[in-house]
Amino acid sequence: MGKIADALAAIDKDSALSAVKDAIQRNEDPLGLIEELRLGLELVGDNFEKGKYFLFQLIMAGEIFKDASALIVPKIRERYGSVRKRGKFLIGTVAGDIHDLGKNIVATLLECAGFEVVDLGVDVPADVFVEKIKEHKPQIAGMSGLLTASIDQMEKTIEALEQAGLGEEVKVIVGGGIVGEKWVKGKIRADAATTSAVEGVKIAESYIRGR
Amino acid sequence: MKEAMTRYERIEAAWNLKEPDRVPSDPLNCYILAYQGGISIREMFTDPKKLVEATVRARKKIGEGDQVDPNVTTLDHFSLWPKSGWDRVTLHWKIQEDFPPKGNIPSFFEKCMIEDYDDVMERGFSTLLFNKKIGKDMFERSIDDILYYAFEYPKIYAEAWRKYVEEYQVPLLMGGRGCTPLDLLQYYRGITNLVRDVFERPEKVKEVCEWLLDYEVILAMREAMIMGAGEVPGAEKILWVNGGPPGMSPDIFEEFFWPTAKKGADIMVKRGFKVDCHWDNDLTPHLDTLKGITKGLPKGKVMLDLEKTDMKKAKEVLGDKVCLYGNVPSSLLVYGTVKDVEEHCKKLIEDCAEGGGFILSTECETPWNAKPENVRAIIDAAIKYGQYRR
Repeated sequence: MGKIADALAAIDKDSALSAVKDAIQRNEDPLGLIEELRLGLELVGDNFEKGKYFLFQLIMAGEIFKDASALIVPKIRERYGSVRKRGKFLIGTVAGDIHDLGKNIVATLLECAGFEVVDLGVDVPADVFVEKIKEHKPQIAGMSGLLTASIDQMEKTIEALEQAGLGEEVKVIVGGGIVGEKWVKGKIRADAATTSAVEGVKIAESYIRGR
Repeated sequence: MKEAMTRYERIEAAWNLKEPDRVPSDPLNCYILAYQGGISIREMFTDPKKLVEATVRARKKIGEGDQVDPNVTTLDHFSLWPKSGWDRVTLHWKIQEDFPPKGNIPSFFEKCMIEDYDDVMERGFSTLLFNKKIGKDMFERSIDDILYYAFEYPKIYAEAWRKYVEEYQVPLLMGGRGCTPLDLLQYYRGITNLVRDVFERPEKVKEVCEWLLDYEVILAMREAMIMGAGEVPGAEKILWVNGGPPGMSPDIFEEFFWPTAKKGADIMVKRGFKVDCHWDNDLTPHLDTLKGITKGLPKGKVMLDLEKTDMKKAKEVLGDKVCLYGNVPSSLLVYGTVKDVEEHCKKLIEDCAEGGGFILSTECETPWNAKPENVRAIIDAAIKYGQYRR
């Protein structure tokens, strides 16, 4: 593991950015630098899942990744013309709910993992999910919510996708603290449900690999 | 059945780590009082008489716990001087007309209301309070309207609840409400910015927290005085919310949240108030720090009202220091059955009630869409399983 991954894994922004700048100066392959950042972020995710790191460290790691990417991406464009994305993920907080903390963390981690993210924001009605999925054609849709009332809304949104004939087109992951509670399990017919942003990204990656 | 203690005596015994006649029960009912009492959200925020009447009707449906939340969250929404602008920041100064409400109170969504800490410390909150982006209605209201909500309304509000307490002999859950500085910074900056601040300019975060503290506790104590602290049972309590942003590591909790959260509690207790630390999220990793909550304070002046925290562990670590309050899950109240609720409450009582110092309640609050019979089941469980002396 290189300096960049080490620094990111240690949540050391200054060292991470300095290592990235040095590598760019040495004209290293920018795709390799992004991969190293991803490796560092994976370690942060592992530490999060083991309980060594907390949400604060996870968010800060995502921010360091974004700052470092801002330095690297122009170099990728210079050398390769464009930045290839691994897949497209559409995400939003369902109607009636305006909490977006979890959604934003997932969106950041997905971007770090190489996904193109279409963020619909908060309080997104079912018909808007349908319309935007038709427009953007993502492989995966994520529905977020914190409130108990969000559970019914997630189910309604999934029904709307099915009625619009999108049930087979897009995988649906629901997320938020509420979806993991034992009294809620089985009430939403999503492809996956998770309370963890890190797990959500892993599920999304597995869907892309499985296609 | 006539019980051996009054509701206030029962609650007081629990706060003082003594065994009451039975475990007190207090589902933390806010919006559900308006919903089950048949009034709109707007009426809840603007008509104290209707709110109190709705509370009476709702408690007949969902059960009569040992305290009542006077919903002081609604008290200062139209005032010129809400606490640190918190209400405007969290609600975008928008009162929703009716059920279902969008989001919850407070509604956490990412926004950045404060760009420059130094500017706010220099010039105060004027840019938040008179801000067309946050509250354009401030510019549409008449001067009479603003004066009414600033001066007359709080008196009407407090009087309505004073009469309720006298007539029904139910103490108030609180008289005032204040917000810990790190929570405020989350609302002002959004969590992503706050996380960056903690890592990139830690000393500035601490400085702003200190700066925010005095203003917030002064207004919380003022609110409790308006509500009748010292005269109306329960009004002497201040709900000290919300336990900080989610996902702090123990070192960040101890370094950034704890110092001003504890200092605020100390200031209020030393002024004669009681402090209900209404602290959300899972604070299990921070139980060792929480042991210091009563340090230097007389017994029975602070309570820990916990949301997702492991209550059994909390009892083990904190049971000899502070009264615990909580924490029937919101999802259980909406999606579970009466039997599920009863079993959950029985377990909580087994885990937490021994020796006193426990009040059976909900997580952060009872969801407005909870099944009435499930809320009632909490109260029934306290009577069925929570008797200390037969």
